[in-house]
Amino acid sequence: MDQMSVSPETAESLKNLSQKDKQELNQFIMGESQKSQIQGAVHSLTDTCFRKCITSKISSGKLDRSEEPCMQNCVDRFMDANLTVIRHLEQMRNM
Amino acid sequence: MADAKTAIMDQVRQQAALQNARQLVEKLNEHCFERCVPKPGTSLSSGESTCYTACMEKYMAAWNTVSRQYLGHVQKGVGSGGGFGGI
Repeated sequence: MDQMSVSPETAESLKNLSQKDKQELNQFIMGESQKSQIQGAVHSLTDTCFRKCITSKISSGKLDRSEEPCMQNCVDRFMDANLTVIRHLEQMRNM
Repeated sequence: MADAKTAIMDQVRQQAALQNARQLVEKLNEHCFERCVPKPGTSLSSGESTCYTACMEKYMAAWNTVSRQYLGHVQKGVGSGGGFGGI
């Protein structure tokens, strides 16, 4: 959700929304923003892990018996690594 | 006034879908062009086209696996701490 522009009429009518509608819209946008973030992370992870796990010549359109667990491990290990980074940064901050 | 709300919600959903499609196309081309067209000729050979199809299917299968695995973590709350902002 990088850019989005609304028509001036829509922008104007937004001001006249009830409190309830405004709240609902706010919730909705937060939800969509989160979904968008998750999707972005999946794209990023797939990109990286595909390079690491799919190394041999591509013959079929399915993940074989070694590629599927490799992809799963890749995601898990990345999450572990991410945690390591966060903890390290927290340590640095506390020095 | 509900019209404006619905209009915005539809637009947001549409934008999200477009962005997702855009990212997917970018990655598919990036990976599959590298793998399947090592030396670009004057046209895409049938071998290259076949490779492309297999590559795209494989990439999307990989995407689904990653998505499932990642969502599993997110639901457990491990994925909190924001996005990965570019690996």
